[in-house]
Amino acid sequence: MLTQKAWSPYFAGIVIGLLQIPAFLMVETALGASSSYVTVGVWLTGFFDPSITNIAYAASHVSAAAKNWWQVALVGGIAVGAFVSMKISAARRPAISPIWARAIGTASPNARYAMAFVGGFVMLFGARIADGCTSGHGISGMAQLSVGSTVAVAAMFAGGIAAAMLLKRI
Amino acid sequence: MSILTAVVVGLAMGSIFGFALEKSRVFEPGMIVGQMQMRNFIMLKVFLTAVATGAVVLAVLNGFGFVKLAPKAALYYADIIGGVILGVGITLAGACPGTTLAQVGAGYRDALFTLVGGLCGAVAYTYAQPILSKTILGQGDGKIIFTDLLGMPYWIGALIFAAALVVILVMLEKWRPWRAELGNDVDGDFGPARPKA
Repeated sequence: MLTQKAWSPYFAGIVIGLLQIPAFLMVETALGASSSYVTVGVWLTGFFDPSITNIAYAASHVSAAAKNWWQVALVGGIAVGAFVSMKISAARRPAISPIWARAIGTASPNARYAMAFVGGFVMLFGARIADGCTSGHGISGMAQLSVGSTVAVAAMFAGGIAAAMLLKRI
Repeated sequence: MSILTAVVVGLAMGSIFGFALEKSRVFEPGMIVGQMQMRNFIMLKVFLTAVATGAVVLAVLNGFGFVKLAPKAALYYADIIGGVILGVGITLAGACPGTTLAQVGAGYRDALFTLVGGLCGAVAYTYAQPILSKTILGQGDGKIIFTDLLGMPYWIGALIFAAALVVILVMLEKWRPWRAELGNDVDGDFGPARPKA
């Protein structure tokens, strides 16, 4: 089963949902991803601008609290897990998914790299305004029946669908 | 918990998370853009299943008093404005903040640009945060959950919600069987056949 290229989305979703057990029991928090970008980003920026930690928001994310660095490790671990899964299923990916050439009408790698950078920037800026992403608001917030998270997820899909209408059909 | 323990636990959990994201194929740009263009529903299937599973898990853990819930505060302006911006970013990136790392691990080169862009976006927000938090983006209602509004225990509402999600997922699967949504190379790509990379 570990060497299969694809699992049922339902089985994979159950595995992901079960990760809430160690998150709540061991780390006393819910699954999340986007805070870790603040932790790592502020830590790196600190080498150039040490005064960034005068901002309370920056200081709280980069402090030696277990939750901060747990989430950085969690998100780093995602890359490890995906790499291992890919290798043992003998799957190979091209440098850029073939859908992009159709979605944006050009196969230029530089165009896609620029789009990916902007996409990443916008994604995290929005996630930090909303105080959560697909994991924190989506998987964790909705499971906790959070009113704010449900609003954020609806807005996320609305924004995502609107942007996707501007792309060409993949 | 010491930082070292937290990092080891995080790495172990993240590895499982990443493994499941890769196997589910939800990390593929073709799946995420495909979902936003309503031609592929793998993302919704993984997402709603993870929500339903989490709701059952937390109904048990919270219902028996083992854990406290940790919902985020409801900041409606921030949730709506930030959520829309986040959604636009997800479509442009073809990834979420978490699945960006799954793309890096799987070898998508553009995901490195998404990652660096994401770090820059997070730092830009950090510099703006002292100002933004004084605007309407900082206004909200505190940590409210639906079962508080309805005056029922969380665990009952969570189990009802999970059951409703299961019904939705069964209907979704009848309408769009997942095996038919994988695409040419389990990547959500339905374009003309191409040589394997």
